[in-house]
Amino acid sequence: MKNYDIINHVRGESQFIDDLNVPQGTLFATVYGSPSAHGKILNLDLSEARAIKGVKDIITYVDIPGQNQIGGIIKDEELLAEHEVHFMQMPIALVVAESEFIAREAARKIKIEIEQYEVITEPREAFAKNKLIAPPRVFEGGNVDAAWAQCDYIIEGDCDSGGQEHLYLETQGAFAIPLEGGTFKVISSTQGPTAVQRVASNVLGIPMNKIEVEVLRLGGGFGGKEDQASPWAGMAALCAYKLKRPVKLILPRHDDMRMTGKRHPYSSDYKLGLKADGTILALEATYFQNSGASADLSPAVLDRTLFHAANAYHIPNVRVTGVMCKTNLPSNTAFRGFGGPQGKFVIEAAIFKASEVMGMPAYEIQKKNLLKENDEFHFGQKAKHCRARLSWEKMEEEFKVYDRISAIEKYNSENDLMKKGYAFMPICFGISFTNTLMNQASALVNIYTDGSVTFTTAAVEMGQGVNAKIKEIISRMLGISHDSIKTEPTNTSRNANTSPTAASSGADLNGNAAKIASSILRDRLLRSAAEELKLPLYEISIKDEVVCHKGEPTELKWHELILRTYNKRISLQAQAFYATPNIFFDRVTNKGDAFFYHVYGTAYIEVTVDCLKGTYQFNAVKVMHDFGESLNEVIDRGQAEGAIIQGLGWMTLEEVIYNKDGRLLSDLLSTYKVPDIHFAPEDMDVRFLGLPNPVGIMGTKAIGEPPLMYGIGGYFAIMNAVKAFRPGASFKISSPYTAEKVLMNLYSNVNIDEKISSLSVTEEK
Amino acid sequence: MTRNIKFILNNEFINADVNPAGVILDFIRDNQLTGTKEGCKEGDCGACTVLIGELKNDEVVYKSINSCLFPLGNVHGKHVVTIEGINQSGKELTPIQQAFVEEGASQCGFCTPGFIISLTGYLLSAESLDAKDALYSMDGNICRCTGHNSIIRAAERITSKFNKLTGQSENKIQVLADYGFVPDYFLHIKERLSKIDKAEFHREVNGDSTYFVSGGSDLFVQIPDVMMKSTIKFLYDNPEIKFIREENGHILIGSTSTVNEVLNSKIMLTYFPSLFNFIELFGSLPIRNSATIGGNLNNASPIGDMTSFFLGLNSTIVLADRDDNLREIPMRDYYLSYKKTARNGDEYMKYLYFKIPTKPYYFNFEKVSKRTYLDIASVNSTILIETSDDIISDVHISAGGVSAIPLYLRKTRDFLLNKTLSVDLIKDAVEMAGNEAAPISDARGAADYKKLLLKRLLFSHFIKLFPEIISIKDTVID
Ligand SMILES: Cc1cc2nc3c(=O)[nH]c(=O)nc-3n(C[C@H](O)[C@H](O)[C@H](O)COP(=O)(O)OP(=O)(O)OC[C@H]3O[C@@H](n4cnc5c(N)ncnc54)[C@H](O)[C@@H]3O)c2cc1C
Ligand code: FES
Ligand code: FES
Repeated sequence: MKNYDIINHVRGESQFIDDLNVPQGTLFATVYGSPSAHGKILNLDLSEARAIKGVKDIITYVDIPGQNQIGGIIKDEELLAEHEVHFMQMPIALVVAESEFIAREAARKIKIEIEQYEVITEPREAFAKNKLIAPPRVFEGGNVDAAWAQCDYIIEGDCDSGGQEHLYLETQGAFAIPLEGGTFKVISSTQGPTAVQRVASNVLGIPMNKIEVEVLRLGGGFGGKEDQASPWAGMAALCAYKLKRPVKLILPRHDDMRMTGKRHPYSSDYKLGLKADGTILALEATYFQNSGASADLSPAVLDRTLFHAANAYHIPNVRVTGVMCKTNLPSNTAFRGFGGPQGKFVIEAAIFKASEVMGMPAYEIQKKNLLKENDEFHFGQKAKHCRARLSWEKMEEEFKVYDRISAIEKYNSENDLMKKGYAFMPICFGISFTNTLMNQASALVNIYTDGSVTFTTAAVEMGQGVNAKIKEIISRMLGISHDSIKTEPTNTSRNANTSPTAASSGADLNGNAAKIASSILRDRLLRSAAEELKLPLYEISIKDEVVCHKGEPTELKWHELILRTYNKRISLQAQAFYATPNIFFDRVTNKGDAFFYHVYGTAYIEVTVDCLKGTYQFNAVKVMHDFGESLNEVIDRGQAEGAIIQGLGWMTLEEVIYNKDGRLLSDLLSTYKVPDIHFAPEDMDVRFLGLPNPVGIMGTKAIGEPPLMYGIGGYFAIMNAVKAFRPGASFKISSPYTAEKVLMNLYSNVNIDEKISSLSVTEEK
Repeated sequence: MTRNIKFILNNEFINADVNPAGVILDFIRDNQLTGTKEGCKEGDCGACTVLIGELKNDEVVYKSINSCLFPLGNVHGKHVVTIEGINQSGKELTPIQQAFVEEGASQCGFCTPGFIISLTGYLLSAESLDAKDALYSMDGNICRCTGHNSIIRAAERITSKFNKLTGQSENKIQVLADYGFVPDYFLHIKERLSKIDKAEFHREVNGDSTYFVSGGSDLFVQIPDVMMKSTIKFLYDNPEIKFIREENGHILIGSTSTVNEVLNSKIMLTYFPSLFNFIELFGSLPIRNSATIGGNLNNASPIGDMTSFFLGLNSTIVLADRDDNLREIPMRDYYLSYKKTARNGDEYMKYLYFKIPTKPYYFNFEKVSKRTYLDIASVNSTILIETSDDIISDVHISAGGVSAIPLYLRKTRDFLLNKTLSVDLIKDAVEMAGNEAAPISDARGAADYKKLLLKRLLFSHFIKLFPEIISIKDTVID
């Protein structure tokens, strides 16, 4: 089974927004953003810019007919700044011109005067000044306060994890076309067509039914286009509304990097209590989330951090507190893993420190505490069909990891220049939107009279192969080949009130909806066939586009059946809806079965550090992952590998740097480095655990996000190698572990964690 | 500001009056060839990769370049190949495309045409197929979705399945067309290119040219919109300043020699065999194919790799003015302040030269960047040491990224001259070099780090060149 989109991809024939033929008269918009990160707009002078030939209009908030408000969870975000700016490059004006070149030229002529306010970029500073997006959130299970007394070791510390730029290769963009009767069609590169529709309707002050949003495909999303595709679409719609002309707005890479939010950086405090044998009894942690200038999706991201605070471990006593700190940066937003990776990083950091203090390998602590069947998470759900230990043990066995560790120790004893390091990384990730209401989807399947089929769902294709998987489901349900099925673009007129394609749930939710729609059609067709063949219904099936009787092909072919069914005036179109059953979560007590199921797996990672220069290369990533029963191994492996590398990138190369003024310094691909082809570990071995998911569609499990978190092991593998060069030293834990930080750890004392380094690490307690 | 430019775009002859400062990416996309994508417009993602074919010694030689930085002024008389020009008619896939499909080496698809083009370029230019080289040919392409492992597997399918292509270089294009890697029209490109008259404009010296453009890989990153409004003197195709030769104990390098031409040149590799290990550390293949020595030395970046390299060889720059009067300046005196050189506005660099060192000599180059490949250095350094009877008879050391200009470490050189190498001497020299440096903090690292890194790179020079004298253990600072 193939991902058919890929054939068009390799021929360069797949179209993205910027590839569409635009109608004559299309105008081009560019965004003018604030030169200051925080302040009051005293004067905005557009005269010189307006005077440039080819400029059609310059649009500001005064031109907004509806609400200048785009906040999703909390209404705290303006589309275009009115009186104050809250982050550098916050959109203020839209220059609309006959060409992009002219629009850019004109934008450079805009003059602005801003009264400068204090700029805050660090979450702890914002917290100290009581600048919060919303009140802190606390998840609690067991009795933490009582637990400390039973612990032999209590490890306290802090750690930081950095931001991450999505760097979808296709930048944000939208194309808005005014149609008759004051309606608009907006083609957007968004994971959330309904979010775009809602924002455009709010901004234009017209009902949602006057806005049709269509999404062909995305050149990558990774969460960056879940909520943050909406402003650009809203702006394109606003320009089209005012100028009554089609308007295209594609962010150049620089603007995309400077104007959009990223993965939330976190600064966290932890306290971990353990028995001398390594059993973890208690975890207390506070996560200071750098939310940026407005809420965006931060509350939901924070919740997932709290859900996943204990990673794949059973910790009986947990109290975790999340704080959304308001800073003068673009609102940070969804990014593959959605707060989960940040939470897992903290528990892994705490375990690493515990291993230093206790003189016990980190993997022993990790393994000892892995979740077992029916263990209760701190939010009250029980681990069911738990595969934490199984995946760990299979990983140990299949990859002979302890032999590898011995080989590493030998290598390190024989080499001075190069040191190798390793780490294990188990994961447990909950599947479902933690905001229960979002767990719904719909699908529409049409059969045409010639037997060809189209389908469309709420899912947005962004390379994750969701449409190929849904096609597989429909193909199996209807007994027809992939070639007979065509995917239609996601469109709000075909599927209304869509949840964004996010939370790894796209194939689960939409696949189920498509399955229901297909089964409705199948029922009708089988009935029709039984009638035509005068055979009992229960003996009829369809296989390979032929109606079968007791499994044997009959004379009745698919296209003939379709035509006859149509002639009998039976509908060949089905729409269906799916809502995930049995999930609930009480946001007051913060308890409930928030997830439909969990995904498990374990990774083992090896790295080599050049101790002369501080550079490193990952050599091996060996993974035993719980894919469920795969609908398409090529797609699933691709998702896993891509996510792992993205996770390793987050932990190592990818450094989002803002200066004190709130200016992004890593604002180009030349200063923000993502993994390249050389970064790929030579030995990338992702294996399938091979057990079906008892509750998943056709036995599958969601795949998009979970493997990203294996990347966290990369951080600790490097630190393990650095410690082979500098035994006994203990370092501050702060990702990303750039070559800079590695070299500093190898040779300087600036990032030393004195509290632990001063302890001599010994075998006994 | 328009100029007449003729070239072949895929299978179509183009004869157009265009602004020569427009980049070819915009031209092809405006002509409905949208398979070539814009991911960054600064040479760093490879989504815009196209092939440029040029007639050389009666053969069409193809190389990959970043179309987002390549001005139309540089494509006259050439064959430009986009993904549409590789596609076979109908829905048939080329073996490379097929391998990508089988390995699932494309997810969102945005980067994919660029990868296919790079790999096709590799097949068109490689003498024999090798998995590592194939991987290197894609070092300018970034894929955010796959993590690259599936792409590497797809390339391996090609190199192992078609390893018999080795050695069939006489009629390479015919062979590739037979296997379906390129459409048949490629067979006639040579003849068609030979019919395009050589344009004279690239040698035009008069007029109030505002900018010299060579490969454009720097200017079109920095100021593309300014270029659109400027008069430009294109140097890239000027044959008079494209050479690498040995003369009277010196090596001379013309300013439009590309980085790839220099780093792969037989002459350079004869005298500096270790150069081979440094090639891939410079940008990416498409950047190395367009970036020139003249551009690298004259953009005067304090972290230019070729600058570090030739400064470490103590080269001399030869400039020419409008009337072709020549003037020589040693590189160590060329850089005055941040991005400012001793060159006058109407002068351009013709070539550089340096003395072939006297044996025994030791040469090394070091570069560390955040990402090892396709990244600008945090710090780089080059060293050349000549010895006689264990005494350092001559030495030159450059250091990039640690000052506003590319540094020539004068004091350290003077200190080392005429001394015998020892651990203590090296340690003192490294300390001294550290004091000559004055780095600033930026996205490529904090000042403290860069200073430390410079010292480590200097140690690295000595540890690599004189392992019997010094080892890493001698260099650990507490
Ligand atoms: C993605 C990417 C990666 C890169 N990686 C590296 C790297 O790893 N290492 C590195 O050192 N650089 C790197 N660069 C920078 C750049 O490619 C080099 O500096 C390159 O050598 C510039 O050469 P060019 O011919 O393309 O320059 P151009 O853009 O044509 O010119 C650059 C400057 O030099 C002037 N100039 C050009 N030729 C002459 C001449 N003959 N006489 C006088 N002035 C002249 C131009 O007027 C201009 O000011 C990279 C650039 C990009 C875009
Ligand atoms: S568009 Fe990214 S390299 Fe050209
Ligand atoms: S497939 Fe999406 S960037 Fe490569």
